[in-house]
Amino acid sequence: MKLEAHNLTKAYHMHEVVNIEKVTFGAGGLEGLIGPNGAGKSTLMGLLTRRIAPTSGTIKLDVGSGEKTLNPLKSHEVARIGLIKTNQRIQGFDSLSIRDSLRLAATPPQDEGLMSLFSRKRDSNEIEEKVARLVEAFPFADRNGYAMSGGEKKLLDILRCLIKEPKLFLMDEPTAGLPEDITRLVMDMVREKVQAGRMRVVVVEHDLPLIWEYCDFVHFLSEGSILFEGKPEEVKANRVVAEKYMGV
Amino acid sequence: MLLIDAIFIGLLEASPLILAAMGFTLIFYLNGFMNIAYAESITFGAYFAVLFNVVLGLHFYMAIIPSMLLSGAFSVAVYLAIFRPALNRGVGPTEMIILSVGVSFMLRYGVILVVGPENLFLNEPSITYLRFLGMGATNLQLVALALVLLAAGVLYWMIYNTGLGEQMRGLANNRELAMASGINPHRTSVAIWFIAGCAGGLSGVFTGVFAQVTPYMGWNVILITMLVTIVAGVGSVRGAVIAAIAAGILTAFITLVTKPLYAEVILLTAFIGVLTFRGARTA
Amino acid sequence: MDYLIFSLSLMFVYIGLAQLLHIQFGMAGIPNFGVVGFWGIGLYGTGVLYVNYGVPLLPAIVVASVLSMVIGYIMALLVLQRSGQAILAATLALAAVIATLVVSEKELTGGVQGLGTIKFPFDGVDSRNLIFMLFILAVVLALIWLSSRLRDSRMGRQLVAIRDNEELAASLGKDTAATKRLVFAITCGFMGVLGGMSAPLHQFLVPYQLAPSLTFAVWIALVLGGKGHNLGAMIGVFVTFGLFDILIETYAPVPAEQAILLPNFKLFCYGVLLVMIIMFRPKGILGEDKPRVADAAAGKG
Repeated sequence: MKLEAHNLTKAYHMHEVVNIEKVTFGAGGLEGLIGPNGAGKSTLMGLLTRRIAPTSGTIKLDVGSGEKTLNPLKSHEVARIGLIKTNQRIQGFDSLSIRDSLRLAATPPQDEGLMSLFSRKRDSNEIEEKVARLVEAFPFADRNGYAMSGGEKKLLDILRCLIKEPKLFLMDEPTAGLPEDITRLVMDMVREKVQAGRMRVVVVEHDLPLIWEYCDFVHFLSEGSILFEGKPEEVKANRVVAEKYMGV
Repeated sequence: MLLIDAIFIGLLEASPLILAAMGFTLIFYLNGFMNIAYAESITFGAYFAVLFNVVLGLHFYMAIIPSMLLSGAFSVAVYLAIFRPALNRGVGPTEMIILSVGVSFMLRYGVILVVGPENLFLNEPSITYLRFLGMGATNLQLVALALVLLAAGVLYWMIYNTGLGEQMRGLANNRELAMASGINPHRTSVAIWFIAGCAGGLSGVFTGVFAQVTPYMGWNVILITMLVTIVAGVGSVRGAVIAAIAAGILTAFITLVTKPLYAEVILLTAFIGVLTFRGARTA
Repeated sequence: MDYLIFSLSLMFVYIGLAQLLHIQFGMAGIPNFGVVGFWGIGLYGTGVLYVNYGVPLLPAIVVASVLSMVIGYIMALLVLQRSGQAILAATLALAAVIATLVVSEKELTGGVQGLGTIKFPFDGVDSRNLIFMLFILAVVLALIWLSSRLRDSRMGRQLVAIRDNEELAASLGKDTAATKRLVFAITCGFMGVLGGMSAPLHQFLVPYQLAPSLTFAVWIALVLGGKGHNLGAMIGVFVTFGLFDILIETYAPVPAEQAILLPNFKLFCYGVLLVMIIMFRPKGILGEDKPRVADAAAGKG
């Protein structure tokens, strides 16, 4: 799946936060989005998932079976097309256990209607297996209970998105709040799925070594615009990037 | 002509409501929840007036100030005994409203148990009929209107032009920041609840003297008070005043044109309409 | 004996209403303060059809309930996506509109003079009131059963997620607005059913029955018993209505002068109980409730 944005702008009280002529996400497998603080990365992510309404411009989704314009869609419709994003701030369902949270994410909405009151079993074997595989793969303190620490909640947030098998997966600063070994586990799993052709990913990050290691393609955002894009080696070597970001 | 009638009658009728709306909004703004038990501030104001005016024999005009002050003190007592501890326990806004319903029941039915369920009457001062701008009104109504406008003016000035008002707005907007800059939340809250209680009490005194003093008098107006506060938006005392005046005039206007009951239906439906377009979004 | 049957029938209606409110607020997080309005549409809708147009009781109840459901759906469209306080105020206002309309449309509803008489069905059968009470009990038990099925189902889980964090649920693909509308409309429809069934209980309808006291009594019962627990509604109604309206008011030996004050004492106690519960045990007598689901994987899930 590809996301294409044309003439995308977002302004708050006359102050322009994002202004991008053209950018394509999802064409290059596992992509990275980097930029200094205040560059507009979170705003851009919000625009792409329709949490924030653009001031102007269009976003088109190429789902393979044709194009869809993203602008008028609602939050849940965006997710149903296959575009899922993790949360930067920790978000969760306090009343749901780890497994229940994942089951919720994995269950398609059409199975959650009135008829589900009369199902004999709540969750199918298929879903239970998917949930078990994910839960067993990560070191939660209480796998049969609730996510405890901030790190576990962050991890659960990512796993909820992964279990939905998104077509385009936006990861918003996955390292923040996660211990390094867990981040690697997550990124390894993500890279596997990308290489298997099952999804495209865009990772927003400050942790540059992570970006250089995992990404096939990197976009550099600064002051609301995409100043440079390319393979990791190209971006690392680019003078503008070095000046504006790495403080050289 | 109809419009002027409506404006005049509306203002007269709305005068207690304006005060009640301001007091209610103050608490909503400071503490973030709708205090249904504020109805009892209004009711108790009237009952205190009965105490001073009927039981102790004071002239009505002399009874107003003590009733108002006692009402304010009572409001502070309820805040310290119940609402503040609840807030400190982290009770959320919807549960606070439910709690305030419980307090309201306690106070209202407590009054009935202690004082009795009968309706009481205040000893009005002597009534003379006056003509004011071509309309008929009693001296009492005009005094009420004048006092209400005065009280409203003082309240308005306090909120937007004094240190206390600034402190309250600071606390309401950003509690940690306000406390860090030296504002004492306890003293400010007590002061605000006192003022809100006084406003409610004064409102009750006048509602009581125009009609009668019943245990349900506050409860009967709390819905429209909530309506006015929400239409005005959280914390806009300015807006609350305007909305209360508008509600009074609108009701008077519609009543002059059709059945009074339809006025209520139209007002309530308009209320739902405002909520549809203005009540803060969830998702 | 007849009076006991009448009181029990009323109590079952209250349990039903509290159960529906448990679904609306305890499960979906929707604070409906217009319970008496939806119940009232059922009550007066049934009354009007039965008395003015000679429609038999059961079909009248069905039609009135459908109307209640439709109005519930419209309210959902208008205000369900707004803040909890807005929903609370809007539903309270709706109930007031309905009560006012019942008074103003005298030709239809009899206004303050009242509307009557609505009789029990099964004409000519002995103990019709007892049979009808059992009928109400059956409906309420069905509601409790449906509510527990909901709690254990995928839809129930979605509701809990919506209640906890609606935006997050939407970002995972759940159409939260549609789900809330559906649940709200259906439960309001059932409130209408209970209202319709209350018509032959009261026999003669007056606008006073549409006062907000019913809404608050149901809320108090629910909060007391535990809004998050499936049986909280039932326990709450036992402790309030069962204890006060039935046991104390009917059976306690109280001298006549005090007896007049009894209803006020009851409401005073409700107030005290409500304050105590919210301050000291906000989850209610029963506390919270977890779904009962057999977990395929090891452990409690």
